[in-house]
Amino acid sequence: MSRTHVNCSVNGDAVDFLASDDTSLLDALRDELGLTGAKEGCGTGDCGACSILVDGQLNCACLMFAPEAEGTDILTVEGIANGDQLHPLQQAFLEGAALQCGVCTPGFLVAAKVLLDNNPAPTETEIRYALAGNLCRCTGYDKIIRSVQEAAVQIGAST
Amino acid sequence: MATVHLQDSHTRFTDGVKVLEVEGATIGQIIDALEAAHPGIGHLLREGSSFAVDGELQPRGTFLAAVPDGSEVHFLIPITGG
Amino acid sequence: MTATENPPKKYKYVGTRPIRHDGLDKVIGKARFAADLNLPGQLRAVIVRSPHAHARIVSIDTSAAEAMPGVKSVVTGADFPELDINHATFDESVNVMARDEVLYHGHAVAAVAATTIGEARAAAAAVVVEYDVIDPVMEIEDALADGAIIANTKNRTLFMGSDDESNLASFAPFSRGDVDEGFGSADVVVEGHFTTRFVHQGYIEPHGCVADVGQDGKASVWGSSQGHFAMRSKSADILGWSTDRIKVTPAEIGGGFGGKTTIYLEPVAILLSQKAARPVKLIMSREEVLRATGPAPAAEITCKLGATNDGELTTMQATMKYSNGSAKGYAAMLGAMSTASYKFPNLSIETFGTINNIPRSAAYRAPSAPQAAFAVESLVDEIAKAIDMDPIDLRVKNAVVEGDLTAMGAPHPKIGFIETMNAIKDSEHYNSPVPEGAGRGFGTGFWFNIGEQSSATVNLNEDGTATVITGSPDIGGSRASMALMAAETLGLDPMRITPIVADTESVGFTDITEGSRATFATGMAVTNACLELVAEMKSRAAVLRGVEVDAVEWVDGAAIVDGHDPLTIPEITAQAKMTGGPLTSTASLNAAGAGPSFAAHLADVRVDEETGQVEILRYTAAQDAGTAIHPSYVEGQMQGGSVQGIGWALNEEYVYSDDGVLENASFLDYRMPVASDLPMIETIIVEVPNPSHPYGVRGVGETGIVPPLNTIANAVSDATGVRMRNLPMSPPTVLKAINDAKG
Repeated sequence: MSRTHVNCSVNGDAVDFLASDDTSLLDALRDELGLTGAKEGCGTGDCGACSILVDGQLNCACLMFAPEAEGTDILTVEGIANGDQLHPLQQAFLEGAALQCGVCTPGFLVAAKVLLDNNPAPTETEIRYALAGNLCRCTGYDKIIRSVQEAAVQIGAST
Repeated sequence: MATVHLQDSHTRFTDGVKVLEVEGATIGQIIDALEAAHPGIGHLLREGSSFAVDGELQPRGTFLAAVPDGSEVHFLIPITGG
Repeated sequence: MTATENPPKKYKYVGTRPIRHDGLDKVIGKARFAADLNLPGQLRAVIVRSPHAHARIVSIDTSAAEAMPGVKSVVTGADFPELDINHATFDESVNVMARDEVLYHGHAVAAVAATTIGEARAAAAAVVVEYDVIDPVMEIEDALADGAIIANTKNRTLFMGSDDESNLASFAPFSRGDVDEGFGSADVVVEGHFTTRFVHQGYIEPHGCVADVGQDGKASVWGSSQGHFAMRSKSADILGWSTDRIKVTPAEIGGGFGGKTTIYLEPVAILLSQKAARPVKLIMSREEVLRATGPAPAAEITCKLGATNDGELTTMQATMKYSNGSAKGYAAMLGAMSTASYKFPNLSIETFGTINNIPRSAAYRAPSAPQAAFAVESLVDEIAKAIDMDPIDLRVKNAVVEGDLTAMGAPHPKIGFIETMNAIKDSEHYNSPVPEGAGRGFGTGFWFNIGEQSSATVNLNEDGTATVITGSPDIGGSRASMALMAAETLGLDPMRITPIVADTESVGFTDITEGSRATFATGMAVTNACLELVAEMKSRAAVLRGVEVDAVEWVDGAAIVDGHDPLTIPEITAQAKMTGGPLTSTASLNAAGAGPSFAAHLADVRVDEETGQVEILRYTAAQDAGTAIHPSYVEGQMQGGSVQGIGWALNEEYVYSDDGVLENASFLDYRMPVASDLPMIETIIVEVPNPSHPYGVRGVGETGIVPPLNTIANAVSDATGVRMRNLPMSPPTVLKAINDAKG
């Protein structure tokens, strides 16, 4: 099968890779670019473990074909921190014990970042609905929601 | 000598008796004594049981676990977990 | 919030909440789970699965698949040795790869490895299997019916010493006292028939592994499981290999909950790799996970309780039938044994485990206890209502304490059941009014917990930092717990300790992380290794100070000798070269004295009488942790278990077609709770220390899933006046029950 040459930006870096038309963007990120932070929990867009931002929009990388990434600006969990400076969400997740096994964590962090980028002071209900596309089986969500609330406070205090 | 408590499912080997006095200083010796008196029960107790000595759950397979004189020994269905 | 038996904290580090050591990698996307490893030259593999729920395999022709582009190896059941039917790994062996008999839809019948996943899929589709299709045996009652089709001809009923084919996986009665007399003298008798369906553990990470068999015939396996030593020994059994030919390196595990205590893929990947002389990566899809990995058993439970008007629970009689899926197991017996919360002087439980053409069931968090407690706690709630007694008071009056008997006859050790219920009774939640139009339910749960074998090695480094090496996969923060127990024992800051989970060749044998045993038993091994190090450091200090070792005290991480400055750990390790060499210690044990854990939950729910939807308004979970080593992760276990139980109670179930095909094999249709379904899960950690553990640990992973099924059923009953006896309480079920009650 012929492969398409795809050029895009991932976490601020210009990258290119080859992908066949039926390769998911998730597989391209993980297998071609070595960015294994986004996980495949279902492959059908139901669990959110592969959540990434594409041109600022929240997407399931498993639901996009890799060639669709041409010319886009992509953010994955690997690009959330600023160098060795963790994003307030990452810090809050650590301090708030918001992860147990940690496999859903990358998706939650990306989805929560979009939420706080667009709504710096969400209510608990807004957080719960914003994260309703991300499945976590370990935590019961309690500490995730509290950590997003805490991150919102920290971000608010620093701006 | 220990007081051994069996499960209902063990009692087909013991004519329905559920509580027995058995000689033995270890779980293994208790099982051997039971097997000698009630042929067939030994395999079931060795391979298909958890056991408690005086109420303390012992790890499966610890047949050298000490059984002090006068102890209460319970043979249980194997306990696992998730 | 923590309720303690002895309020003053006696520990410096145990009970604190440091950031977990493996946390950073997990929030920046660097942690490596099973699917995250790729090796040079690696092939991708795909399993060929049966399209029938029950069939004999007449023939398998792999010649077309082998000729496909990129295909490097193909295996079928014929490539695996036959194990004796009584071998402990027999059922897993035929579950990993079917031989002559397909036991469920999705059962593995062959596997293909090729250079790309696309080529592997194409080749898998080209494997030709001829089946002789048989009607599947799907329901518990179908399996037990006279003249039933045999669902698995290799099943022999556990412990019955019979060589006959049977759909009975197990049969065992439990009894004490005289139930006829008990019911005869009871003032109140309640009874009901309760059903629960198959549910899945629902870990977010699908099963996966990479296997690489070298020229020396040895296999390196990288995989995600709850126990990599068990993965090694089971793979060796299934392949007929010696254990030393397999090295397993544990990947991070993306959830297990019991479902990753068994294996599915590794022997297949090893054989494919051996045949191809290339590394092979084999990852399940979500659909494969739901079609072919361990559900928790479905159950049919008939239960009858008797009580006196003053609230003494005198009698329990039950018939518990659990389906083990395609292979034998203890499910029904465990269910009966888990009804260990009340004294019940008269008790009789008959248990039947069945075999059905459904995937071989796997452990799921307090296996079998949620179903049994659903029945018993629902009926206890009915008795409380019938005699107009507070549901907690009724339970406290009958609760087991140390020395009381479990259903299987053994006495309980020191337990905190009453303390746990009282924690709910004293809670702000219990003492606040029930919201307008809502109902409130209370319920409880119990789990035994287990000990078993663990090893730990602790190395003190030259600068006085430490490495704690164990063989227990970290499924929810256990590295942090190990570091905290080591810190407390050594007197060393936990952030100067690096806890790691080592491969099968770098640490001593360790049993599976299951039964809430890791923090209990592996923690005990870590503590013992650290105690040895403390003794060794005292003798090194004695050498350095020129005194007898008896003159050395160990206080807060330093050796104290009268008349001298304290010798700290870094000072001792820096001089280890002079005093006898490196400081290292290994401990291993087979831990006795696991402490049972009880939980009590309280839920407020509102039921939409037009749609039947149950909304959880408020939820509080209390549980006896013994001692909470890292309270945040204890709370996390309680909250996670609660929400899994809430999913089981309200939405989750396998839906099968008549021909045995799972009709909801996706996360869209197998509906697990999401954040917007739930309120915060309030937690109360109760601490009644386990006297058999150096820090009083009981193990907290399992029990939290037991109460929600009954607690929510009790709350729905309180809200609607209708008793729900069938799970899940999904909107159509609840609506129908409400409408039926209206007549």
